[in-house]
Amino acid sequence: MSLDWHAAWQALIHHPLFGVGITLGAYQLAIAAYEKTRWVFLQPVLLSMLAVIGILLACGLTFAEYKDSAAALTLFLGPTTVALAVPLFLNLRRIRQLFWPTLITLLVAGVVATVLGITLAWVFGAEQIMLMSMAPKSVTSPIAMLVANQIGGIAALAAVFVMITGIIGAIIGPALLKRCGVHHPAALGMALGLTAHAVGTARALQEGEECGAFSALAMSLMGVFTAVLLPLAILLWL
Amino acid sequence: MLLRGLSWLVLCQLLGTALNVLLIPILPGPIIGMLLLFVFLLLRGEVGEPLHLASTSLLKYLPLLLVPPAVGVMAYAEDIFADFWAIAGALLLSLLISIVFAGWLMQKLIDRQQRREDA
Repeated sequence: MSLDWHAAWQALIHHPLFGVGITLGAYQLAIAAYEKTRWVFLQPVLLSMLAVIGILLACGLTFAEYKDSAAALTLFLGPTTVALAVPLFLNLRRIRQLFWPTLITLLVAGVVATVLGITLAWVFGAEQIMLMSMAPKSVTSPIAMLVANQIGGIAALAAVFVMITGIIGAIIGPALLKRCGVHHPAALGMALGLTAHAVGTARALQEGEECGAFSALAMSLMGVFTAVLLPLAILLWL
Repeated sequence: MLLRGLSWLVLCQLLGTALNVLLIPILPGPIIGMLLLFVFLLLRGEVGEPLHLASTSLLKYLPLLLVPPAVGVMAYAEDIFADFWAIAGALLLSLLISIVFAGWLMQKLIDRQQRREDA
């Protein structure tokens, strides 16, 4: 009797839970590696991303197929974003105490982050469509994708830039900020949430609850401001 | 307990999505949902035990949930390689400068406010 190994393998890698399975596996390995070494470059999101890409390439699967089979996980991103209201509310007293510093930082640093990204990419000679995909790089990916679409960029590319920015920000952000003399948890959180959105916020939550709350605040306000002001600014400028 | 909290979160997200379609297409549903929940908590004045439990459980796994969108990088490898140095340089430089600037500005503003309160 000959066993049909090929059919079994195909059934395995095309199962609707395959994406969830490899993501869960890669994430747990990444967490274990990070806890063991505490090495900043082993950020769980980055490590799991590389592991999952490796497995997909080895199995000959496309991103579109993985996206469908990991939908069970991505579905929870919505309620989790909603859940950020809880740490925001719990730290409201502290945020109220620092109301003006928060607002000023948000407006000034938010504009700097966006304008600097576009200007540098333009100076380095990137295409117009790349520039427009890069403009919303500092905000959470659902907003960035919408905004990129509106101003003539590619939504999926915007999501990629958002992800790269977030991962690098989370990896080097905290150490860099501390070296530059930024010690207040609110200032750390603001910087992480403002530039590195959800990935930065996930990293900020590891630093402590106050840091996480300010990061969540910065992320959501930066998102709201970008969604409303960036398309307007581009419209007026062009 | 966990389920009741989770239901609240899902309800807010669904309301957010409805509002997104009806009134504010520029803001995604989950962000509107978060603002709705925040306003609800402001009115209520406290976080109930079920909601607290559900939100801390979900937020603990936020990095895991971000892995699938991050894998999307592989679908655009070619476009990125075409403009690789421009993109990498602009992303990295602007990130480094703006993250330090944001942290520095906030720290200075906090220091100033504290000095004023002490005086």
